[in-house]
Amino acid sequence: MKTYFRATDPYPLEASDWNKLHGFYDALAAGRLVSTRCDGCGHVAWPPRGFCPECASDRYTWVDLPAEGRIHGFTVQHAGLPAGFTGARVFAIVKVDTHRIFSVIIDADPSTVSIGQRVTLAPIRVDDDPKGNARWLPAFRPA
Amino acid sequence: MRKVALVGAGVSKFGVRKATYRDLIWEAGKACFDSVPGVRPKDLDGLVVGSVMPERTAFQSHISSLAAEALGIRPSTLSARTEHMCASGTVGIRYAYAFIAAGLADLVMVLGVEKLNQPQGEEAILNMGTGVDREWEAAFGLTAPPCFALAAQRHMAEYGTTEQHFGLVGVKNHTHASKNPNAHFQKGATLDQVLGSRMIASPLRLFMCSPITDGAAAVIVASEERARALTDRPVWIRGTGQALDGFQLTSLHEDYAHWPALKRAGEAAYRMAGLEPKDVDVAEVHDCFAIAEIIAYEELGFCKKGEGGAFVEAGRSDYGGDVVVNPRGGLMGCGHPLGATGVAQAAEVWAQLRGEAGARQVPDAAVGVTHNNSGMGEHVVMIYGRE
Repeated sequence: MKTYFRATDPYPLEASDWNKLHGFYDALAAGRLVSTRCDGCGHVAWPPRGFCPECASDRYTWVDLPAEGRIHGFTVQHAGLPAGFTGARVFAIVKVDTHRIFSVIIDADPSTVSIGQRVTLAPIRVDDDPKGNARWLPAFRPA
Repeated sequence: MRKVALVGAGVSKFGVRKATYRDLIWEAGKACFDSVPGVRPKDLDGLVVGSVMPERTAFQSHISSLAAEALGIRPSTLSARTEHMCASGTVGIRYAYAFIAAGLADLVMVLGVEKLNQPQGEEAILNMGTGVDREWEAAFGLTAPPCFALAAQRHMAEYGTTEQHFGLVGVKNHTHASKNPNAHFQKGATLDQVLGSRMIASPLRLFMCSPITDGAAAVIVASEERARALTDRPVWIRGTGQALDGFQLTSLHEDYAHWPALKRAGEAAYRMAGLEPKDVDVAEVHDCFAIAEIIAYEELGFCKKGEGGAFVEAGRSDYGGDVVVNPRGGLMGCGHPLGATGVAQAAEVWAQLRGEAGARQVPDAAVGVTHNNSGMGEHVVMIYGRE
């Protein structure tokens, strides 16, 4: 019997063939956290964006963000995760410079995670895209 | 603008249904037409369908036309689908309201429908990830529970709200649902059961969360002239407001215990209706998670900011209190078939303001509010009043 796929790939298409903001993922693969600074008004966005909400410019320059931050808030999800994800999973808002970044905390015992805790960027490699390109997500781990 | 009223309403049984997407449309449509004896499908001139993810769950788009054909409605003024995640139903009611108030339509059905359960349960949850930002949130496995858990934690830290407060919301709404034959859950729940249920996302436990539910609901919205010809008890739309703070979690107010968009949406609706929070007899609020109901008490003005936990603990949101919140059982007790929820809330208020809510009737209910949200930063509020 043929089994049909009813769910799709949960990860974004990150490669340059598919994504104009692929520079973010290129840097992430090299261990750097970058975002877009608007060439019009200098606004640094998180997450990266191809259009500035402050001045409506679509020109930007990649800038490095600190690779370290502090946990602003977190929750541990134990059950009810989507297909392909398992608990316990620590979801967190990480404050990096003035930016709030949504991410997950890896390599940590969930019971030891705390608000204010220092964390560092820990890019995680997820499944390759259907064309075989590597894909990365910006996770964090305790410093 | 013309006055606009609800003249009919009906809901399907909510639950894990042995039914297709179209079966659910038929059930709600049948119940709704049965509620207005003088109206046949071909008498309607418009249809709006609130539905979030039939592309994922039924591999089906082109929803309004599908539903029109299923029910025998022949739209001549308005045919549309609304998708605004969990608020899709109420957003649909606002469209019908605006068209009728402007004189562009006279008699419009708003139907909400969702067939969320799938042969593989994890897929149903994966589908819920379409409601948050795919690239920056859902790719990490985020769905709704952690978002609201973050709000719950902030509320506890800032205002001393407790797990017991969240539990009491669960007990109240499950108890209310036990009197609603269309609810997903009808067994009620004790505080021990709620506080002993398994942890989903700290501090929210299973009985503090709404389930994955199939269901549909429909209302018929009419111009004043048509309403008066069809019923002696129209339920008037008196106010409406919608406001958004942002989409991504990190775009919202930095302190998730505060939902400014809900406050603004409520204030807009109260202003339009010329009413105040103390005038509200019955409220259907979006208790997707217990924390959401507690914050809704505060932002809708039923109590002061930070006092939502004490409000439920004192029984002020239950029968005999200040305002009966979620008499049909809320999203926790009835389940949350996304697009159907806002329409089912309106159907409950319609029944309450007509004195037809049976065992759930709020005595002498004259003013009702519905609150539907899509995430913590996007809110829609409607105010209804009887004659």
